[in-house]
Amino acid sequence: MAFLLRRLAFYLAAFIAAATINFFLPRLMPGDPIEIMFASAGSELSLDNLNALKLTFGFIDAPLHEQYLSYLKSVFTGDLGRSIKYFPLPVTDLLGRALVWTVGLVGIATLISFTLGSFLGVMAAWRRATLFDSIVSLAAIFSSSVPAVVVSLIMLFVFGYTLGWFPNGYAADPMLDPGFDWTYISSVLHHGTLPMLTLVIVLTGGFAVTMRNNMINLLGEDYIVMGRAKGLTEDNVMLWYAARNALLPTVSSLAIAVGTILGGSLVTEVVFNYPGLGNTLYQAILARDYPVIQGQLLIMTAAMLISNFAVDLSYVLLDPRLKRA
Amino acid sequence: MSDPVLSIRNLDIDYVGAETDFHAVKNVSFDIAPGEFFGLAGESGCGKSTIAFAVSRLHRPPALIRAGSRILVGGRDVLALDDEELRRFRWREVAMVFQSAMNSLNPVLTVEDQFYDVLRAHGKITREAARARAAELLKLVDIAPDRLSSYPHQCSGGMRQRIVIAICLALSPKLLIMDEPTTALDVVVQREILQRIDKLRKELGFSVLFITHDLGLMVQVSDRIGIMLEGELVEVNDARTIYRAPQHDYTRRLWASMPKLHGAQIRQEAGA
Amino acid sequence: MKLVTQLLHNRKAMIGLSILLLVILVAIFAPLLTEYSPVKRVGRPHQPPSWEHWLGTTRIGHDVFSRLVHGARVSLAVGFGAGLLITVIGTVLGIIAGYKGGVVDEVINFFTNMVLVVPNLPLLLVLAAFIGQASPLVIAIILGFTSWAWGVRVTRSETLSIRQRDFVKSAEMLGEPGWRIMAFEIFPNLISIVGINFIGSVIFAVITEATLEFLGLGDPNTVSWGIMLYNAQNASALSVGAWWDLLSPCIALAVLGLGLALINFAIDEIANPRLRTGGMLNRWTRMVRLGEGKL
Repeated sequence: MAFLLRRLAFYLAAFIAAATINFFLPRLMPGDPIEIMFASAGSELSLDNLNALKLTFGFIDAPLHEQYLSYLKSVFTGDLGRSIKYFPLPVTDLLGRALVWTVGLVGIATLISFTLGSFLGVMAAWRRATLFDSIVSLAAIFSSSVPAVVVSLIMLFVFGYTLGWFPNGYAADPMLDPGFDWTYISSVLHHGTLPMLTLVIVLTGGFAVTMRNNMINLLGEDYIVMGRAKGLTEDNVMLWYAARNALLPTVSSLAIAVGTILGGSLVTEVVFNYPGLGNTLYQAILARDYPVIQGQLLIMTAAMLISNFAVDLSYVLLDPRLKRA
Repeated sequence: MSDPVLSIRNLDIDYVGAETDFHAVKNVSFDIAPGEFFGLAGESGCGKSTIAFAVSRLHRPPALIRAGSRILVGGRDVLALDDEELRRFRWREVAMVFQSAMNSLNPVLTVEDQFYDVLRAHGKITREAARARAAELLKLVDIAPDRLSSYPHQCSGGMRQRIVIAICLALSPKLLIMDEPTTALDVVVQREILQRIDKLRKELGFSVLFITHDLGLMVQVSDRIGIMLEGELVEVNDARTIYRAPQHDYTRRLWASMPKLHGAQIRQEAGA
Repeated sequence: MKLVTQLLHNRKAMIGLSILLLVILVAIFAPLLTEYSPVKRVGRPHQPPSWEHWLGTTRIGHDVFSRLVHGARVSLAVGFGAGLLITVIGTVLGIIAGYKGGVVDEVINFFTNMVLVVPNLPLLLVLAAFIGQASPLVIAIILGFTSWAWGVRVTRSETLSIRQRDFVKSAEMLGEPGWRIMAFEIFPNLISIVGINFIGSVIFAVITEATLEFLGLGDPNTVSWGIMLYNAQNASALSVGAWWDLLSPCIALAVLGLGLALINFAIDEIANPRLRTGGMLNRWTRMVRLGEGKL
């Protein structure tokens, strides 16, 4: 428990750090920070609306530390300001809508690639130096070194444009009404396949390499030799003695991988014109819609911290040594 | 003498390298009789652990047991077993305590699970029956049955060692191999463990193959001792001869390299 | 030096180094490889590959091959520049934290862990967005100052174990100053970790630079693979069928990434002998097949 509480306190500090970057960045830029932040609005913003926005971002007539506290207060009350491009849509609404798609896409892709990668890594390590091991290792090198933007563009070119098997954009057929009926769901699946496959290709290799290395480092341990000496089946030793222990460091590397996964999904969504956070952010960057750009950093950081906490929790569940007797 | 429990003939084991091989064990032959406590001594790297691993065929590449070697356990040719026969043979015939017995327990499974999996692997048994059997075995090594639900890290080093020994006895093997099982423990616990093994051996009638570099400790517990030097078995004799009248020059040198104090202590005990 | 000899005997490393060398040569001799300027209109828009334009032309009539070979310079410069910066910061902080311990370690470790949980690409996007159109140099600098955390973590934990070794203890007894111990006793023992960190950071920097530019945060006048992707995407290259415009920088990035990754895996194998699957296992398999022995 103490361990988890300490982690929570740390995550809170990290979130405040991200908010602090947001606060100081426009103020560190040459020129008037208010001018910079809301320049893209032009003269469309009424004075009342502009003042409301200024308040949210801490641009108040007060010393810097009070401005800072004022900004933190808006962040912690869930007020991330309003999008300038889609004024007066609140940033939280805009990003929240996009977040659903991203979480679905990233969540499922991570689940698939973690399971597949770990499985391949376990098998490759267990069959050291066989043809299977060589193929997995080589594929893993390839998968972990080619940028997500490249993989998604090639996937789009081959399966979207050339073969025409999958649609080239959107999360579902725009002509359909969203709902829990088969037509809509199958359309969502059809549209999600390519971005999903792209992420799986980009992520699986890394997980496979991590798991393979962790396994190989464990194979000399006495408890694994003893498992074999006990006359257990090979599968039993491989899964419950080797893989089960190698899973621990692999899970903790998952926490660091979350950042890479989020980064990969940003780009993939842009290429596939998928209406998740990445694409919303891309539109915001093109329009220099700073409240949205800043808001996504906070949302992404929150997502990262929540995933990290989930990893901490599963670590405590997986490793009996961390449980208090 | 009745048929030996373990009979090793012309055992050759190499570690295959990229260009040349390292000959770890060279043409070694010896027998262990039923109920016998056999010691195998030598400096580290002399091949004694390599022999121990070969008996249960636990080696991994690049180790290679050369054709022509023979390992018989209870008259059965171990090197002729297929995968499934080998699996059944392990632990039922030959159990083993490893070098760092303290790290021989799987850290993520409870003690009970580590009894259960081996009992299940060698016969049909219910959870309840396995738990009862495990409790019985723990009693042999003076551990309370409530330890069954513990994880290894919750037990002390000496206790983990005794748990490993209890697991070794689960299937009443003919031969117990101990590969430097006491190196990580202090002297008092070392003695305690060896005395316990000796007592169990007399009660249950298994043979022991005891491997260590500590010749002084070995002569106190073994019936017969083999001395290894760079992969070769240079002398096999009863413990008394090894101690009083070593035949091979290397055995004498091994004694000479032991600290005097230790030697004097053994002399006293042997005399008493 | 031993590391270098071992690298030259590793097949993965040799393939990786050959790819890298090829890209470096292309970058150096870019002006000799093509008669076209990378920034001038030299043909009609979106011409498919031909003898005149090996990789076709872009929507505004630039020669794709010329832009590709000139763009290699930017990718390599940003990759190695930012990679060096990331590695230097990570190694220095990691050694100091691991060797000094105490408060220094706690402070460095706290900041490292914090940087590790703030997602990197979203942070870079915010920074780049405020900077406006970031030149490759600016991108390299912000990459260098935001991406060192992983390096600190691995260097620190390795330093912690090296600190306990005898040669460090005896250097301390002899009264050597701390900086000398860190530079001459500890650092040489970290060389493979530093190597992996460096190559990994170069891969990261090459990928991230291209990604930032692709997302529209770069300077559109730069000749680089990322800007090529950005322009091709804006020109809807795929939907108008001008695949060469988009796929050329894609394949270049993939090949460079693969080459660097092969080098990294080779260093990892050399540093960690347990990961190696060298000639001995092949020879072992052959001997078992021939019936010379068994396990």
